[in-house]
Amino acid sequence: MKKLERRAILCLALVLVLLGGIGYYVTRLVEYGGDWVSYPANKHIYNNGYIAKGVIYDRNGKLLVKNNSEGKKVYNDTEGIRRATVHVVGDKVGNIATGANIVFADKLVGYNFIDGTYTTNDKSRELYLTIDADVCRTANQALDGRDGTVGVYNYKTGEIICMVSSPNYDPNNPPEVSSDDDSGIYINKFISNRTVPGSTFKLITATAAIDTMDDYEDFTYTCKGFEQYGKAKVDRVKCAYPHGTVDIQKALEVSCNCAFGKLASEVGQKKMEEYTQRAGLLGRYSIDGIMTLPSSIEFTSGGVSLAWAGIGQYHDLVNPCSMMVYMGAIANHGEAPIPRILSKMKLPSGLPGSVGDTQMTDELINADTAKTLARYMRLNVENNYGSYNFPDLKLYAKSGTAELGDDKSPHAWFVGFIKNEDYPYAFVCLVENGGRGAEVAGNVANQVLQKIIGND
Amino acid sequence: MEALATLFDSYPALATYYTTAARWIFVGLAVFILGKTALSLLARRNPSEIWAYLRLPDGSVRPLTHWENVIGRARSSDIVIDVMTVSRNHGTLSRDQYGNWRYNDLGSKGGSLINGRSVYQSTPVEMGDTITLGGADCILVPPSLKEKQENIKQRLRSTRGVLPWSPIIAITIFQIMTVMQLFASKGSKLPFTVLLSFLLLTIVMWAYCIFLRIMSNRAFEMEAIAFFLCTLSLAVVSTSEPESTFKQFIAIVIGIIIYTVMMFFIRNLERGVKIRNLLMIISVALLLFNVVFGEERNGATAWVSIGGYNMQPSELVKIAFIFIGSATLDELYEKRNLTVFMIFSIFCLGCLALMNDFGTALIFFVTFLIISFLRSGEFTKLILVLGVCAVGGLMAIRFVGHIANRFATWGHVWDYPDAGGFQQVRAMSAGASGGLAGVGAGNGWFKSIFASNADLVFCYIQEEWGLIIAILAVLAIIILGLYAVRSIKSGRSTFYTIAACSATSLLIFQSTLNVLGTVDVLPFTGVTLPFVSNGGTSMMSSWGLLAFLKAADTRQGASIAVKDDSEDNDELFIEDYIAMADEEASEQRLAQAQKTQRTRSPHGQSQPGPQTRSTRPAPKQRQPEQGRPRNPNLRQGDVEITDFSQLEDDDL
Repeated sequence: MKKLERRAILCLALVLVLLGGIGYYVTRLVEYGGDWVSYPANKHIYNNGYIAKGVIYDRNGKLLVKNNSEGKKVYNDTEGIRRATVHVVGDKVGNIATGANIVFADKLVGYNFIDGTYTTNDKSRELYLTIDADVCRTANQALDGRDGTVGVYNYKTGEIICMVSSPNYDPNNPPEVSSDDDSGIYINKFISNRTVPGSTFKLITATAAIDTMDDYEDFTYTCKGFEQYGKAKVDRVKCAYPHGTVDIQKALEVSCNCAFGKLASEVGQKKMEEYTQRAGLLGRYSIDGIMTLPSSIEFTSGGVSLAWAGIGQYHDLVNPCSMMVYMGAIANHGEAPIPRILSKMKLPSGLPGSVGDTQMTDELINADTAKTLARYMRLNVENNYGSYNFPDLKLYAKSGTAELGDDKSPHAWFVGFIKNEDYPYAFVCLVENGGRGAEVAGNVANQVLQKIIGND
Repeated sequence: MEALATLFDSYPALATYYTTAARWIFVGLAVFILGKTALSLLARRNPSEIWAYLRLPDGSVRPLTHWENVIGRARSSDIVIDVMTVSRNHGTLSRDQYGNWRYNDLGSKGGSLINGRSVYQSTPVEMGDTITLGGADCILVPPSLKEKQENIKQRLRSTRGVLPWSPIIAITIFQIMTVMQLFASKGSKLPFTVLLSFLLLTIVMWAYCIFLRIMSNRAFEMEAIAFFLCTLSLAVVSTSEPESTFKQFIAIVIGIIIYTVMMFFIRNLERGVKIRNLLMIISVALLLFNVVFGEERNGATAWVSIGGYNMQPSELVKIAFIFIGSATLDELYEKRNLTVFMIFSIFCLGCLALMNDFGTALIFFVTFLIISFLRSGEFTKLILVLGVCAVGGLMAIRFVGHIANRFATWGHVWDYPDAGGFQQVRAMSAGASGGLAGVGAGNGWFKSIFASNADLVFCYIQEEWGLIIAILAVLAIIILGLYAVRSIKSGRSTFYTIAACSATSLLIFQSTLNVLGTVDVLPFTGVTLPFVSNGGTSMMSSWGLLAFLKAADTRQGASIAVKDDSEDNDELFIEDYIAMADEEASEQRLAQAQKTQRTRSPHGQSQPGPQTRSTRPAPKQRQPEQGRPRNPNLRQGDVEITDFSQLEDDDL
């Protein structure tokens, strides 16, 4: 009998397995319950596969979409707003996977861990996004049918005020899209895409150089229009024209490829990798649960490849959102708020629901380095892009003209932030195959920022 | 009731308000029911009883706390004799329910003698006899009167204060509120049979409990837990297949009958052991019938149709499987017993393989492993068997299409929401929608999914009753299991212990497959949740298995299986003894008590029949069952109280 006592421990092991399994399930339920509930087969919230509850507004209470009980969706009256916000809100049939109407289905129906989807009435919840529908509309108009994306967010609070992706369409009148379409019409490029960053990446290289080179202020380089890294013709970094002797600030201002190639080589592969990682480009941000696509940067141990990588060419691909957050970190001298899109929620009772607080990133850039870099970015605007092109804006920026080869027109980038007590906004602006960064993307950025500060 | 239906029909808002409040009250009731029963089961120790003493060569006296004891030099023996000439497992000393002791030599090197005569097989032993193990003299000594009193007192203490009624009342409230919730959900569309089934379940529950109380049973926590789970089961069936509700109720009643009948058999160890052959024949017939006439459902032919009723014979065979796997201590040392069990196990697994019933086969296999381990304690052999079978299992998975499919989606059902993960994705989606307290019985949509009320019932409960009640339903089964494992300490025979532990393991393993399979923690095997899932045979087998757990409950008046008839006759009588024991009864008082006993003994003897043990201060004349040959070595009056005192004086 005594032996049996010991052997019975085996039964207890079975109990532990069962308890452990249930414990694991409950933790998964806590984590993914909202996603599970949002599955279209769930008749508690869907009608024939379409979400049957909830209204989404922009930050000013402009209707973005209303789901009625038959599972039909009613969008904003203005076509321009419908187009500009289709990626934010989501389409009728769920092609745009990151749309708020899909991602926040659990919130729209009032799911929570304690009550599930149980409600005592059929009144809808109201979800307010941080988006300004009119600013989005302006951004879409500024893109003027060109592909690309515009993202603007408040670097104090993390609220995304503008998030537009192009190509886009009117959800009330969806186009026929062939299955092999590669235009990215259903993709929110701000969140789910990555593109060659061009010279905007020099900001990362500059950060690494300022931090790691003791004598970065004494750094000078004489640009003769190209720099040879090997014997072959391809082992060469080129500039559009010889920039003459430049220091690091001037090199950034004139966007001297040769000088930055040299800086990247001096910083070296390891440090370049470290600073790219630290800048948050390789990670993913969770925008209230919507995960961004990480950037992909590849540094070699040296030579022309490392030089080109430090200039934002070679195999570099950057996610627009993570670049915008880095701008926020420079503006904030180190940390940036993680972008948010949920502003507030109203329960059917009229009481506010919780949507979570602003959360900060780790330190993406050293505070002193950020100040130095901001000074350089301001000089970029004053001496190169022209303050007169950006009236009423205390703008800090860097342009990028990402060469694509094959005689394709380059991607135009413009990234930065404005200093303004009332409008602390950082932005990223990408016009695909748009041409020169400062002129094309800079112009789009200006229109959006003017709209934001109230200069229509 | 009609008025209630009309009321909910005409004021839908009222139904909503009712559900909103009731769903949390249900949670509260469920917590109370299980908390109370669990506390009552687990907070008290199962009393350890002393059946006799063995005086060892060194003069020390060891209590025999089980009916079956291994004597040997090994530290794992129940009675350890630290003498080199004694074998590690030298012999067994066992008693039957009449108090007849037998000694059995386990093929020891040094051999055994009883009163100087060599013994080679199971031999009766009397109180005062000398058993010589490898030259070491041991004397069997009966417990003293005072200790017997202490035993009774302890047993009574474990059931005293148990308030069996409050959980039963809570379950009744739960049942009434469930019916009201069904009205709130379905209004006048609620079929009459649903109402009737619930009403009858309440009546059956009360009738059973009152009957037990009249039979002087003080504790029925296990049954309370089962009735609670049955209530949930009835609710699940009434909302998913209202037309089957009455059928499910009938299954519960048959289950209770099986439970009671089994108890009747198990309470008498000898009878229990004898019935095994019959059960084995029935099981073999059932399984063969199933293999030949089985109907295919979802790739498995686990069902047969008899007279219009569908049943799963393998469910009932589970009971027989435990029965046949369990063995008394002496049987454990018999090759024949093990061989029979092995052959029967292989036969069962073979039939299940032919039926393609992977889930049930897995349950049988794991139960087989547990029983084998409980019997032999050999881990290495176990691992070897496990390894061989794992390879075989992998081959089966590789070749049997529908099993392979289930394994293919395991762990990522959300990647196949409309293919292999169809059922689980919907289960989890519906389950999560229920939150902690559910959306209210009858308000879910998960019922439209195939097997939602059986193989996926955990999430069904989660959707309609909430996560808390779903987990409590599983905890209920775990509580039963923990109690069974704990009761080994005071277990009388290895038969009861092995039966209780393996039945527990079976129930828990089956629950594990059901619950964790539903929520994609384990592959989906399509087995039922004991007591809860829709399905008649599953319900019956759950009750049948419960009988094994109940049999391990040795508390005074706690079970039909283990019961003392003196309590039936005269409860006060025992109380008297306790009072005396409390006052640290003096010798005089003891003598007085003996006198009392003598005067009362004819009364006690007027109750022949099976007795599991005697709680009389003085053991009665041993009363063999009618027709049972009397032990030729039994001396008349050898356990008269006077003998006891003498023994105490002489030997203790």
